[in-house]
Amino acid sequence: MLALTSPYFWYTTRATGMVALILFTIVVTMGTLVANRVGGTYVGRFEINELHRSLSIVAMLFLVIHILSTVLDSYVSTGLISAIAPFTSSYRRLPVAIGTIAFDLMLCVWVSSLLKVRIKNSSWRFIHWFSWLAFASAAAHSFLTGSDSHKPWGLAVIGLCVLVVALAGLWRFFGRPVRAAGRTALSPLARAPLAKTSNSRPASSQKVVRRR
Amino acid sequence: MIAPSSLPRLIHQTTRRPLTLVEHEQAFSSSGEVVDALKELEASGLMGRGGAGFPTHRKVELLRSQRSRTKYVVVNAMEGEPASHKDRSLIAANPHLVLDGAEALAAMIGAKHIAVCVAREFSTTINHMERAIHERQRRSQRGPLIELHTPPGRYVAGEESALVHWLDDNQCLPQYRPNRPNVLRIGQGVVLLDNAETCANVGLIARYGAEWFRSLGTSLHPGSLLVSVTGAVSHPTVMEVAAGTPIRQILEAAQADRDPQALLLGGYSGEWISGRNIDLSFDNAALKTVNASVGAGIIFVLPKSGCGIGEIYNIVRWMANESARQCGPCAFGLPSMADDLGLLLAGSKEAGAALRRLNEQASQIDGRGACHHPDGVVRFVRSSLRVFEDDIRAHASGRPCAGARGPRFATVPRLERGDELVWE
Amino acid sequence: MGVKRRPSTFVLKVNPILCDGFGHCAELAPELVNVDEWGYPIIRQEPTKINNAGAYESAKYAVRGCPRQALQIEKITDAQP
Repeated sequence: MLALTSPYFWYTTRATGMVALILFTIVVTMGTLVANRVGGTYVGRFEINELHRSLSIVAMLFLVIHILSTVLDSYVSTGLISAIAPFTSSYRRLPVAIGTIAFDLMLCVWVSSLLKVRIKNSSWRFIHWFSWLAFASAAAHSFLTGSDSHKPWGLAVIGLCVLVVALAGLWRFFGRPVRAAGRTALSPLARAPLAKTSNSRPASSQKVVRRR
Repeated sequence: MIAPSSLPRLIHQTTRRPLTLVEHEQAFSSSGEVVDALKELEASGLMGRGGAGFPTHRKVELLRSQRSRTKYVVVNAMEGEPASHKDRSLIAANPHLVLDGAEALAAMIGAKHIAVCVAREFSTTINHMERAIHERQRRSQRGPLIELHTPPGRYVAGEESALVHWLDDNQCLPQYRPNRPNVLRIGQGVVLLDNAETCANVGLIARYGAEWFRSLGTSLHPGSLLVSVTGAVSHPTVMEVAAGTPIRQILEAAQADRDPQALLLGGYSGEWISGRNIDLSFDNAALKTVNASVGAGIIFVLPKSGCGIGEIYNIVRWMANESARQCGPCAFGLPSMADDLGLLLAGSKEAGAALRRLNEQASQIDGRGACHHPDGVVRFVRSSLRVFEDDIRAHASGRPCAGARGPRFATVPRLERGDELVWE
Repeated sequence: MGVKRRPSTFVLKVNPILCDGFGHCAELAPELVNVDEWGYPIIRQEPTKINNAGAYESAKYAVRGCPRQALQIEKITDAQP
């Protein structure tokens, strides 16, 4: 396995990690702006959406560089597999695992968004909610791994990012617009009984319609 | 026995309880002349009795041309329209007619499954249908599998895509169907969905042929119709009439008000006609001249003592509540129209503005939902504005009519709160 | 005799169930889409010519930009001989 000994890999890892965290903070905040229908008068809503999408590509790029430089670095022994499978790194097992989880989730969100036209809208929305969890894992990873989080400026940056996303999350929930499509669903306890024929047919006969 | 030669056909030889299978077969023994049921169906010109009036044989042809391996026949006996009682009455008289027709349709398209859908609130109807299905199964294990399903009795649950959505995925919500003609699907299988009365007519045509069917009714609108008469009647009635019967005759037979202010045809998403037009015959060609149609055979009679705006307000308010709330224009627009009608009814200062807004919103909402629920309400409101023009003008200038504070004649179910609404 | 007809007009169609009234379509394709008082799109029903490049581009942007993927371009082929 290619393992280079230059210290710049280590610096790259730390730097791109920080930048990725900041960028993802902005991406998540922009996502909240889109969901809460901000814009229309001075800045177009579609512009915020486009920024959200484009920035996520840049953030992902920094994240990938962060992971690659970690893997290639010989100073810490994290194999390529640790990029995807958590708990496989011998260096700081837990913090790296949390980072891996964050990357896995982020990858799912990102790929599902790239394939947005091809998948069902409800599936896309379901996966997209995990971006919040991905960010939380990323923040935890930054704090726990942090060669820089011990220093005051590192702590300040991480703290600020977490604060911004937390506020965005609160606003996302409490400031959400009134939706028409908020049809009320019954609780699962009140589901309708299945077909009511008194069946004298053998049990192997097929049900008429599918039930999920 | 000879084919029933005159009315009643569907509600033929009824007793106080539904006919059993044996009694049904005695009353409706086959004449043995019908060889090709499909050809007879085409020759009969039967039109759907669920409200849309689509020619039944064209639906069957469309389903026959589908190459899907699994095909279903769905019988729509939901009757979500509050003013309609005909499907329930039909099943209470003779559920085997409906099942005959369903089996005939299944044979025509090659379906092995039949699903009969009755709203779960109609426990009597459910019992009748259960018993009838059980009798058939005890008689013969061959033939298509018939099952009874009981979706919640919402207004839009009787819409065909909502019913199929329920059978497929346990949610009675209408679906977006942009391509016409669009075949309904449950999973990979295709669905032929017909109203219960249509199925009953198909069953009779399969027994007695097209010529017999066409012996009643007009040339453009053949056959007999089940008509529900409500409103200013001694009690709500369901009668079987030949298409083309003058409305005046129907009202007399139902012992309804002979000199009504207006009639609502086609249920709460139908059209009003003025009381002056009761000499028209009850078929599509005649009613088209006054911008109305037969629809599902519902006649609501508004007497001269009633207030048109009051009825319309109640109806639109309920219809707005029955929206599935999937589409913005329907979910927001219908309640807004109901509020404007309320202002109009009260004759308040803003009544004039409310009337203008009503007209604007009607044009805005029309056609912008996934199903035709908002279209129906818009059609209803537009016909109301036309037929009750004078009354509206009086209300709008602050002089509500005498009946405004009186009792309402149209039965509208209690409005449910948001958390009581049942969609699954 | 088997001549392939290219679509000459198109229409923008919205799936009203998926639509949640974000309004991005009205910003991206203002010549085709207007917004009603609740934020939902009112789309031009008459077909637009495909060689009206501006409108067609706008329509494509609108389809791409819709947060709920509720829009689709439906191309219509002329039925002339």
